[in-house]
Amino acid sequence: MNLIIIFISAALINNFVLIQFLGICPFVGVSKKMDSAVSMGLAVTFVMVISAAVTWLIYNLILEPTNMQILEYVSFILVIASLVQLVEMFIKKVSKPLYDSLGIFLPLITTNCAILGLALISVLREYSFIQSVVFAVGAGVGFTLALVIMAGIREELELAPVPKHFKGAGITMIIAGCLGLAFMGFSGLI
Amino acid sequence: MNKSLKMILVLTIITVISGVVLSYWDNFTRPIINEHKTSKLNKLILEILPENNSIEEMKLGEYNLYVGKKDGEIVGIAFKAEGGGYSDIISLIVGMSPDFSKITSLKILSQVETPGLGTKIVDDPSNENPTWFTDQFKNLKIDPEIIYVKNAKPTKENEIQAITGATISSKSVVNLLNTNISKVKKLYIEK
Amino acid sequence: MSKKKVTLIQEFLKGIWKENPILISLLGLCPTLAVTVSAENGLAMGLAATFVVISSSIIVSMLRKIIPSEVRIASFIVIIATFVTIADRFLAAYFPDISSSLGPFIPLIIVNCMILGRQEAFASKNGIGRSFLDAFGVGLGFTLVLVLLGTIRELFGSGTIFGIQVMWDSFHPWAVMILPPGAFLALGLMIGASNWLNELGEKK
Repeated sequence: MNLIIIFISAALINNFVLIQFLGICPFVGVSKKMDSAVSMGLAVTFVMVISAAVTWLIYNLILEPTNMQILEYVSFILVIASLVQLVEMFIKKVSKPLYDSLGIFLPLITTNCAILGLALISVLREYSFIQSVVFAVGAGVGFTLALVIMAGIREELELAPVPKHFKGAGITMIIAGCLGLAFMGFSGLI
Repeated sequence: MNKSLKMILVLTIITVISGVVLSYWDNFTRPIINEHKTSKLNKLILEILPENNSIEEMKLGEYNLYVGKKDGEIVGIAFKAEGGGYSDIISLIVGMSPDFSKITSLKILSQVETPGLGTKIVDDPSNENPTWFTDQFKNLKIDPEIIYVKNAKPTKENEIQAITGATISSKSVVNLLNTNISKVKKLYIEK
Repeated sequence: MSKKKVTLIQEFLKGIWKENPILISLLGLCPTLAVTVSAENGLAMGLAATFVVISSSIIVSMLRKIIPSEVRIASFIVIIATFVTIADRFLAAYFPDISSSLGPFIPLIIVNCMILGRQEAFASKNGIGRSFLDAFGVGLGFTLVLVLLGTIRELFGSGTIFGIQVMWDSFHPWAVMILPPGAFLALGLMIGASNWLNELGEKK
């Protein structure tokens, strides 16, 4: 039961992007085209789940027993950065088409605050291993969903008469606000 | 000097220096932070179990029980519980009488309910007593379980009034208490 | 762009308006949106980020000849994460309430593109003095927008500024302003307004 709440909360009710504001940079930057939005969403979800598992192990098996919680941030960011590199190398070896579609997005993921944010929130809420992984899947789904919806709207927007000072970032923010309001309608699902 | 050796060397030195600086800083700040944490927890438990003069921590299944004693006699038991509210997880701490027959006190620790409606479970600025919702739980009988009523004053000893416009938030708190109290009660009696 | 022509004052001022990290470069949006439910939170976040960007810029600028370019990003991240931990623990020790209301957004300064961007684009190529001024300007620009956004949202969402009641008694707070969607709406309008002001400035 708790796992379902965590999943729905991260994906819909407290959507990672629209309500918790994690991963806004790619949300604004990569949501212009539908297909790149889908690839970015998949890449982030993938890295998110792996890094949630690895950072959980590092925190609970190394940092906490040795009382070195102060190194949490330094070690998490190093792990995420090297993980992104590994994933990139791995995908390149295993599947060429997958690499071609995800490849250019992977380096951007290191500085995506959704990944580090997820790891930090899991520690803060004292999630168990399973809970963190479910949380990561939910957050990844939520991120992809927000990105895809936004890309759909922005493709239409290119033809719309937007006031010129609001073109680009301004209107994107306002649309995101409206989407956020819509997502708040999911409250009560759990 | 070999290039990759230099790379490794520089990165290692930077990381080591960072580790040394941080561990010094840790020694300096950790006692202060821990003090905040314990004083916060003590204050909280003192609010929940006011008449205690010693607190014992006890692990029972997934719960951490705080048993308040006065002159060796148990005066109350407090524990934390959490569960789904309207928007996300609500977590609270509840104080029980030693025989688990009634709630002595309730405090909501964290929630992200709808501002202005669901948040009234913590703070209702439109009422003379902003904490009226949680205050209702003081000395509330839980036999057989807590029941909420809508738009009416509670008439029985195990009833509370739900917040208008935030029935789900009110219901969540009640359900959360009912399930967790019965679980803890069972575990505690078995022990 | 010849470096000599940029005076020290310009180095400092450009971060506040012309290259404002939030309004113009759209960097560091996550904390901008998340913590600005009140002016106080905005100020605390802004100051913490300013501290981190200044200290890391100074260190990176000092070490710029030693760090090999292949590991520069990793080194910058370690340096930034170190200062973020220092700032985070400082807040937790001396301002526990602010620290708990900002939650994970203080550690998230590490991945704030604005800070890494300054190291990569400026501090790793310039002297200590200039790097300090550049970081100070950018930090100040960031803080100003955060405080402004926090003030607007707090004013309409709670009727207060820095916790002091300013709206009339019968004013009914617009709850949406302190809810997440209000952050997007307020920032969208601010970006629009700053574009308009920029255009007015150019016409003159």
